Amino acid sequence: MTVQPQEVVLHTKGLVKRFGSITAVDGLDLEVRRGEVVGLLGPNGAGKSTTIGMVLGLITPTAGTAEVLGRDVGVRREDALAGVGAMLEVTSFYPYLSGRDNLAAVALLRGGGALARVDPLLTRLGLAQRGGSKFRTYSLGMRQRLGIASTLLADPALVILDEPANGLDPAGQREIRELIRELASENRGVLLASHLLYEVEQVCDRVLVIKKGKLIASGTLAEVTRGGSSYFEIVVGDKARAAQILRGLGVKEIRETPTGLDVVAEAERGAELNRALASAGVYASALIPRASSLEDVFIELTEPEAPSAPPAS
Amino acid sequence: MLRLLRSELYRLVRRWMPWIMLGLIVVIAFVFYFLIWVSVNAQLQAVKNGTLPVPAGGTAQLEQTLRQIAPDRVAQFGVSVVAGLGSVMLIVFAASHVGTEFGWGTFRTLLAHGASRSGFLVSKAVSLVLYAVVFMIVGSIAAIAASYTVSAVAGISPGSGVDFAEVARVAVKSGYTFLPYMALALAIAVWSKSAGAGIATGLVVYFAESIVAGILVSLNKDYAQIVNWGLSRNASALTRTVSGQAGPTSQDPTASTLPDPTQAAIVLGIYCAIFLVLAYWRLRSRDVTVGG
Repeated sequence: MTVQPQEVVLHTKGLVKRFGSITAVDGLDLEVRRGEVVGLLGPNGAGKSTTIGMVLGLITPTAGTAEVLGRDVGVRREDALAGVGAMLEVTSFYPYLSGRDNLAAVALLRGGGALARVDPLLTRLGLAQRGGSKFRTYSLGMRQRLGIASTLLADPALVILDEPANGLDPAGQREIRELIRELASENRGVLLASHLLYEVEQVCDRVLVIKKGKLIASGTLAEVTRGGSSYFEIVVGDKARAAQILRGLGVKEIRETPTGLDVVAEAERGAELNRALASAGVYASALIPRASSLEDVFIELTEPEAPSAPPAS
Repeated sequence: MLRLLRSELYRLVRRWMPWIMLGLIVVIAFVFYFLIWVSVNAQLQAVKNGTLPVPAGGTAQLEQTLRQIAPDRVAQFGVSVVAGLGSVMLIVFAASHVGTEFGWGTFRTLLAHGASRSGFLVSKAVSLVLYAVVFMIVGSIAAIAASYTVSAVAGISPGSGVDFAEVARVAVKSGYTFLPYMALALAIAVWSKSAGAGIATGLVVYFAESIVAGILVSLNKDYAQIVNWGLSRNASALTRTVSGQAGPTSQDPTASTLPDPTQAAIVLGIYCAIFLVLAYWRLRSRDVTVGG
């Protein structure tokens, strides 16, 4: 098969899943290309695992389609999944089999030379020493590693990892981050669902943020974190006056904080803001340039809406 | 489909449960033969010594029972013993074989690795049938070995020896009667996602239905027209025919109302198909979330 650079390996269109009156996923469009790592972010219950379930044909979409390598999962599920390696959030294997035998059982199901990859993968994931031990004796971290190893048995074009760093110690998490980048460098597409924003920041080329099943932000890390633009944390007493002065300078995004204001503006405008405040007799005790992190953006995007105010009596 | 079956068999042979059950049926066959000889022989000796009174019809009945141990009676006696115990063991095994996939969450893992739901069900059904075949072969061989061993120890004449064709015929027909019960246990395990529910339902149907059917037909033979559509009466119709117990000589007063063996085989086959279709229908429509 000819490898197409930047070939789309996963494409979902208008994916919807309703469980009774609850809409878990609401019109989700996403795309993963070869060679890139795409982070799927969202708070608990946002619809990440449901989305992955639909991509894998475990959950039937209420509407929309998921295509892997151009094959509709709803129509040609087995063909489509031949090119996918997936590790689900809860790693489940046969407790009475060893790690090696579990991989062999999956390899027999996969066919196509997968059996020959069992031992190299055990080595790659650091499980060679314990490959002969029963799965039920594995620690959570070892189970996660085995789950990741199983995703690579079929030499997949698309790797789906749902919370792969669960239960791993910091060194293990780093190894997994390196592995994920390696997978992308091997021209595979990787869809990574994770709660660990630090992990996502380190390995993802693009991120998709979903909330209540809807895509609320997407793009490269720089784009999602407002193009990497900075903001200023201004410690000031008279917040209202300071905000009024800054709005006069054309600053549009100002958030009140317990100690003052967070003001979104280009990094080079720090002196200008300071001067304007001082000229108006509002003295900031600190003006600290900050960069928006993915965590800031994530929390801002996904924080629950404030309850609506009760009507005035 | 074949790849999934290979994976299924790979896992099956590495599980303890099927091996333990095979070991159990071998041990049980020997123990059963041995106990029959010990108990009947003890009664005969007691009658000879005068410790027990001579039964009304003499000792012919006891000697006839002792004759069941002989190798030429394995098809009628030994294989029936294996089948009687085997049906219970295979119901337990069928429910466990399927239900544990949901309990362990491995059904979800298999699907995530590209297995189809129909493939899952077919591979489970085929592996169960294969196991039932192996079980009956091992059980029959154990019965033959036990028969020769105990006959030699007891000094019972082997008669004309084992009729292997008859043993095979009895084993196949007895094994066939297990299948609807195994399919029922499988279907309940799929519906409930639980091995326990499959075992409980399979065993309750296996025992309770035959008791209820027997009572109803004893009360009024007309009830046979209804209960003959159940599992137990059709299974009985097949096994009684093969073990030579059918017909007016049978001690079972309801035996004459049993269905025709061919009809019984067809009805049992239809039950298998219905249970498998119901299992597939449930499996197909179910969203698989955590656990399976």
